[in-house]
Amino acid sequence: MSTIKNGYKILYQKLFHLDDRLLLIIAGSIAGICSGLAAVALRLSLESVLEWLHPFRHYGWAFIFPAIGALLSSLYLEKIAREGAGHGVPEVIYSVSRYGGLLRFRSSYSRLISSFLTIGSGGSAGPEAPVVMSGSAIGSSLAKFLGLNDRQRITLVGCGTAGAIASIFNAPIAGLVFSIEVILGEWKFVNIIPIAIAAVAGAQVSQAIIPEQVLFFHQPFNVGFPDIMASLCLALVTAMISVLFTKTLRQTGKLAKKAPFPLWVRAVIGGCIVGITGMFMPVVLAEGYHFIQSMISGTFSMGIFITFVAIFAKIFATSMTLGWGGSGGIFAPCLLIGSLTGIVFHKALFFLFPTIGCASEGAYALLGMTGIISGVMQAPLTGIFLIVEITGGYETILPLIVVSSISSTMSHYIEPASFYFKELIERGQFLRPGTDARILSDLNISELIQTEFIKVSENMVFRKFIEILKTSKQNFYPVIEDETGDYKGVIQISAIRKYALDPGMYDMIFLNQIMDTNVITASLENDLQEVLDMMDIDNMESIPVVENDRFIGMISKTRILDLYRRELIMQTSVQ
Amino acid sequence: MELSVFDLSKHLGVVPNTIERWIRQGKLPVSQKGAKYRFDTKELEKWASKHNIRLNFSDKDAIQKDIKSVIPLSAAVQNGGVFFDIQGTDVNSVLKSAIGKITNIPDDFKTDLLDRLIEREKALSTGIGNGIAIPHPREQLGYLTEPLVSICFLENPVDYKALDNQPVSVLFFILCPELKMHLHLLSALSFCLRDNQFTNFLKSRPDPIALIEKIEILQKANPI
Amino acid sequence: MNYKLLHIFRNTPFGRETFFQSLYFCKMINAYPVVYIPKSDKFLMYFSNDAVQVDLDHSYLTTPATAKSHAEELFNEMGVKPMFYEPKNFTASSLPDISTNIDYLCCPRSVSDLSSKIGLGHIGPKVRRIIKHATFPILITSPVFKPWKSISVFFGGSKNALTALKLGLKIAMSSGLFLDIYTLLEKDEVYYRDLIKKEGLDAPVSQLSKQWHFYKKSNFDTMLYDVPHNSLIVLGAYGHGIIKDLLLGSKMEQIQSTVTNNLLITGPYCTVSL
Repeated sequence: MSTIKNGYKILYQKLFHLDDRLLLIIAGSIAGICSGLAAVALRLSLESVLEWLHPFRHYGWAFIFPAIGALLSSLYLEKIAREGAGHGVPEVIYSVSRYGGLLRFRSSYSRLISSFLTIGSGGSAGPEAPVVMSGSAIGSSLAKFLGLNDRQRITLVGCGTAGAIASIFNAPIAGLVFSIEVILGEWKFVNIIPIAIAAVAGAQVSQAIIPEQVLFFHQPFNVGFPDIMASLCLALVTAMISVLFTKTLRQTGKLAKKAPFPLWVRAVIGGCIVGITGMFMPVVLAEGYHFIQSMISGTFSMGIFITFVAIFAKIFATSMTLGWGGSGGIFAPCLLIGSLTGIVFHKALFFLFPTIGCASEGAYALLGMTGIISGVMQAPLTGIFLIVEITGGYETILPLIVVSSISSTMSHYIEPASFYFKELIERGQFLRPGTDARILSDLNISELIQTEFIKVSENMVFRKFIEILKTSKQNFYPVIEDETGDYKGVIQISAIRKYALDPGMYDMIFLNQIMDTNVITASLENDLQEVLDMMDIDNMESIPVVENDRFIGMISKTRILDLYRRELIMQTSVQ
Repeated sequence: MELSVFDLSKHLGVVPNTIERWIRQGKLPVSQKGAKYRFDTKELEKWASKHNIRLNFSDKDAIQKDIKSVIPLSAAVQNGGVFFDIQGTDVNSVLKSAIGKITNIPDDFKTDLLDRLIEREKALSTGIGNGIAIPHPREQLGYLTEPLVSICFLENPVDYKALDNQPVSVLFFILCPELKMHLHLLSALSFCLRDNQFTNFLKSRPDPIALIEKIEILQKANPI
Repeated sequence: MNYKLLHIFRNTPFGRETFFQSLYFCKMINAYPVVYIPKSDKFLMYFSNDAVQVDLDHSYLTTPATAKSHAEELFNEMGVKPMFYEPKNFTASSLPDISTNIDYLCCPRSVSDLSSKIGLGHIGPKVRRIIKHATFPILITSPVFKPWKSISVFFGGSKNALTALKLGLKIAMSSGLFLDIYTLLEKDEVYYRDLIKKEGLDAPVSQLSKQWHFYKKSNFDTMLYDVPHNSLIVLGAYGHGIIKDLLLGSKMEQIQSTVTNNLLITGPYCTVSL
């Protein structure tokens, strides 16, 4: 091991230090391959376990499968892997924006296992978010091993994500776009190339192991002008449903947290409910890829009413699975809900206008998928490229763009935060590069603080203070207690001007009589946002920083502006 | 040339913590030698121009300038000199003969300087009372290389339209190339003149060496 | 200066001893302790190149109702103003991020395994990882509160040992205690003295240290026995390469498995300025 590391060190110093692009491309493709392998492993094992469990499905007691799966999955996450379970993708975004993409190594496998247990047993969830989580953790661990800096590490996290998505859907462009649009949030030249290569590597791995060309086969569609008009309406429907889906997911999660049960009981209850729903409506179970396939190829046989109910059943089942202790993503459920919506829409369209010359059901299933994906994630490009790639058909691209853009705009209008970002925005942790929030969180109080201040004692006579005043340039004088050195208050020159110009006062007062003790003070623990808020309350120009009763220094707005601008330049400039 | 984190933090006007964070985030061109970070000046300049950031490599001159402007009063008096028995009967003639005696002013500028001083006296008398006046021009004199304070004792007291209407017998000329020095010297001088002991001492028309010594002592009491 | 020590509070009698140890340390060197009372059984620490998840053992979460009042009692007993740390950021709702912007961290020998296993020669894997990445020194306490009256620095000549020596000098300065330096000779005495001179530490060393003890390489055990039982041991844990990453330095392992004193350990990323 150590020889590898030494060799790498020499290589790094000689070659990569000059330009890290080559390094990032090599490391990125490794990350892509590894996360691609993880994705393929999850997909294959899911396929086999679903097949193995299939014969048992029609027994009456089969509804406990999802319960057992959810139970095992939640216990595994909490007790063995000891992940603080969350949705995964927001955690990746959080770490990318706040900690330079540092992720725990355990994340690279824990979600794979837990989501395998959940989905394999029939829980309604998708395998995509778990592979994104593990892909990005693989990228992050690789960067840690190579000792890279934050910027490079973030690129590798993006590479891992792209590789995972590219591999599980066999869709390299969707992987690239998802990674940049959702995870990194910035389109930078230096990022795009390694991530694109990682995406291709991931897709190649998947093709090499599973030799099928596209995820869903279909007959060519004939898309005409009426379809574009119809897709406008479809977009509105998908926007509604995506908002409903997002809200239900969040509400169920909140409800589950309030429920007075231990974790594993919650998981069992949620699993049982999903199982029972699945008894009546098998379409809601597991990731549902093969139902999607049947819908696209036009062999889906459910009636319009049942299909309509199935949309809501799927939303319900997914919320129960994810909110009550299961583990998995919302990608596949989105696809299924989308295709169901498309089918219902198509059927309704023919019911109302029997003579209309529209494309087949399958095409509308595709459009519905795009609509929901773009609506729920509010990532229009990911929606378009994913559908185009997983079906291998470009003939529907025009209506796809229409549906995707309208659906994401509409759902953004109703619900400004997408499912992935909502939690982060609520916590104030949605820190995209180059935004105000990001700069404020990056700038540390200890970087802004000016520490060179003459401190004065509270028992000093005013005359002596006037002498100090003559020779120093300070506008603020911290007043401290003689014995302990504790901070007592602050003297602001502008506030004591009238005494300072009156020599009669010089020997009459002590500093503790004129100091201001009501000034709000900040501490080193505060972040800049809080400090600025404090300053706004009293309209202060400068604020004293006090830690453990000691005066540390002052923060002035001038200094903040100075450093804020520098930080903005640093974050937004092209590398 | 190579710089350390501390050097660079001085040039960029930020604290070393910020530099370390930028290194961690991969925003600076840096090379690592052991546990220490090193920056190459050329690479830094390239980087700075690309990012439109000003690298302040020449801040040492500014500090030196600052030091130059705070010349002590005693040194200025030494530059300017102490002169006795200035003749004249009114403000203009006194000023004229005093300027004639001050050696450190180039001869070509003496008439110009006299005009300026008279103009200043017309605007508002510089006689501050107690028999003392501080004649000085309003604009600073760019042709001087060093600030001068010349002390001139008059042969006979002259009516100077002083604040307290007392006749003036001592003139303190303050002639500076820069306003900052001027204000500094004016403030230092008025500190001395507020001291009663010093004004009494002046009335005894002391010799230059004793006078400068006295100023040095007072200066120590009022360090700026 | 204002130094901050983070203490993770364990609301058990064993945790009380550890906490006394922290308080005593703070009083001696004029630092102030900040207590984190865990609300969930895990937390994350983000260092510059790693995210360390610390899984606490169950005893950290016993009787959360009394934890705060117990901590306050102990604060008052030692006459220190109570201060508590509240995590501000959360990676996931039950996974708080603990700030690494501190000057010292107090750890028992293990945080994630049951405390019944804690004995000599055992330092838990999480504590090791924290030492490996931390930019601050770690105080590893002895199981029972024991005030220390002197400082012993183990100086082996490595870069890390120099950091430890600096730290020892710093603590000697702020506590007013003298320090002893212990060196196991791998080269001759002059080499070590020159090394210190090169770093500009010779003046403070001669001023603050009582004695510099040199031992022959084979007399390691004698040296360990000669270290006073009531002294704080300051030493560097060195880690180079993959193999040594897993263990701390071999000497360090031997020391921590032999002595019962409080240990103050500087890791490879630790920086100390005098």
